[in-house]
Amino acid sequence: MTDETQAPAAHASTPPYLAADDVGLVAPQDFVYPRAFTFKNGQELTGLTLRYETYGTLNATRDNAVLICHALSGNHHAAGWHTPADKKPGWWNNLIGPGKAVDTRRFFVICANVPGGCSGSTGPSSLNPATGEAYGLRFPALTILDMVRAQKLLLDHLGVAELHTVIGGSMGGMTAMLFAIEFPRFTRRLLAMATTAREGAQAIAFNEVGRQAIMQDPAWLNGDYARDGGPRVGLAIARMMAHITYLSDASMDRKFGRRTIQSREQSPQLRAELAQQPATADFNLQFEVESYLRHQGQTFINRFDANSYLYITRALDQFDLDHAYGSLENAFAPVLAESLVVGFTSDWLFPPEQNRLITQALLRAGKRASYAELATDLGHDSFLLESEELYALIRGFLERAPAQTLDFAI
Amino acid sequence: MTQPVEKRTVDMQIIGDWVEPHTRVLDLGCGRGELLDYLVQTKHVSALGVDLDFAKVTACVHRGVPAYQGEMIACMASFPARHFDRVICSRTVQELHAPATVIAEALRVARSVTVGFVNHGFWKNRLDLLVRGRKARNAVYTTAWAESRPANPVSVADFEDFCAAEGIRITRRAHLMGDWKTPCPALPNLLAGYALYDLTR
Repeated sequence: MTDETQAPAAHASTPPYLAADDVGLVAPQDFVYPRAFTFKNGQELTGLTLRYETYGTLNATRDNAVLICHALSGNHHAAGWHTPADKKPGWWNNLIGPGKAVDTRRFFVICANVPGGCSGSTGPSSLNPATGEAYGLRFPALTILDMVRAQKLLLDHLGVAELHTVIGGSMGGMTAMLFAIEFPRFTRRLLAMATTAREGAQAIAFNEVGRQAIMQDPAWLNGDYARDGGPRVGLAIARMMAHITYLSDASMDRKFGRRTIQSREQSPQLRAELAQQPATADFNLQFEVESYLRHQGQTFINRFDANSYLYITRALDQFDLDHAYGSLENAFAPVLAESLVVGFTSDWLFPPEQNRLITQALLRAGKRASYAELATDLGHDSFLLESEELYALIRGFLERAPAQTLDFAI
Repeated sequence: MTQPVEKRTVDMQIIGDWVEPHTRVLDLGCGRGELLDYLVQTKHVSALGVDLDFAKVTACVHRGVPAYQGEMIACMASFPARHFDRVICSRTVQELHAPATVIAEALRVARSVTVGFVNHGFWKNRLDLLVRGRKARNAVYTTAWAESRPANPVSVADFEDFCAAEGIRITRRAHLMGDWKTPCPALPNLLAGYALYDLTR
């Protein structure tokens, strides 16, 4: 900023990871649980590893920790950059950093890849030390509760005495809620966004289509595919379909409309792809939205494991606070955290109503809870939105206004 | 003329006198949470506000007052009977779409309901219409009709008739003169600028 007037050229080339409000270069770490980890279904797993990142510093009283819980396709890389050459920072870099809404000058921020995942934590694609082969479908059945318990072990390992706040959107919101339920004395604040206490039939249906796309792919081989192979077509289709559910009609219309790929400048990559298409078919790439979804599918297969997708979507479908605790009020009965639930008007995957139900149950259970609803047209992914309004809300929740005697002249 | 900001404070103090300590209070149209913050600090109530506006809910969250963004009837409908000790509906009643439904629902979810409103029977408001033939414009209603939110001009007499017809018991009244400070000794429908009622079934 100060260089702006003196050396505009230097400023323009300042890499984003050196920005004052960026956490900068970060390196993931591994936590290996020294004992056998018992999953909810009773199966044990030795050598459970969680890959995680931290930003900021744990304070002397060890109570300034903020746990970030990622969504289905997310991972531990929530903020910062792994190398200066990275094209993109962590997935919630707009929220986390020095002076940002989750201020790393105040908070010790932790984000871990969930067990069952495929970004470094133990999951179906990890090698079973007993057999030397990938677990595949021999990996224990996974639940959100397992994700919560595993991350609690990590927090204990890091010496966190209590969580200042647990934050999560979508599946991360489920994880965050369960943290507040299962570890009430440990969790002081709960921030759940674009989430649900139980998926409706529609959300389960979408997950099932994704799973079928994977399992019907001949390369799936009952989950015993080679590391570099697997049901790439099925996984890409699953991702294409799921990605639509994260957006909205309005946002897709704004971004793509009915524009065709012929109407825009074509990258060499796209030209190569078009050249490969059969000349006769009428079902080649035509619309930009098709090209975008194919790209989303192709990017996803290079970073995500098909079996992890099966396991985690199943964990999402199984999550049902009403059923697991008798009622939603019962589920929230032990909660000591102050809660904030945020819904987004255009989210049709976990719509505002499902977020309202969570808040209402917390309130009926006599808890301190707030509900805010942001008007956006970006669909489910709105919780990742760059929005000053959302930042102000989150900052306001994390950093309470200093207690003051009321000025009666207000 | 008295500034509206000071008038709000008077409203707050009277409501504060009526609220029992350590009770559960729901504020309909809580705005930025000033009233609830005051009640938390002075009466240690367990507070919840309802407001339609995201920025106002943000302000509540920032000051530590729990708030629910949404429509007040739907919000109250999610609570069992008598969940709250008191519902407050202050300075919002004239702007409600369905005041009778809101008050009935408030009387279901709470033992007592506090309603505060500007008295449109107040002589100055009458003069505006009678002499000037125009919508009331004063420190409270500062805007012209086209810039104003829809409002039901309710008077003290209207409100008392409504309570009688609905079988709602009025347990306390506060009628204030045009300065919103001095208690109104008589003829409240004509002389009171502001009225506060405590209701129960």
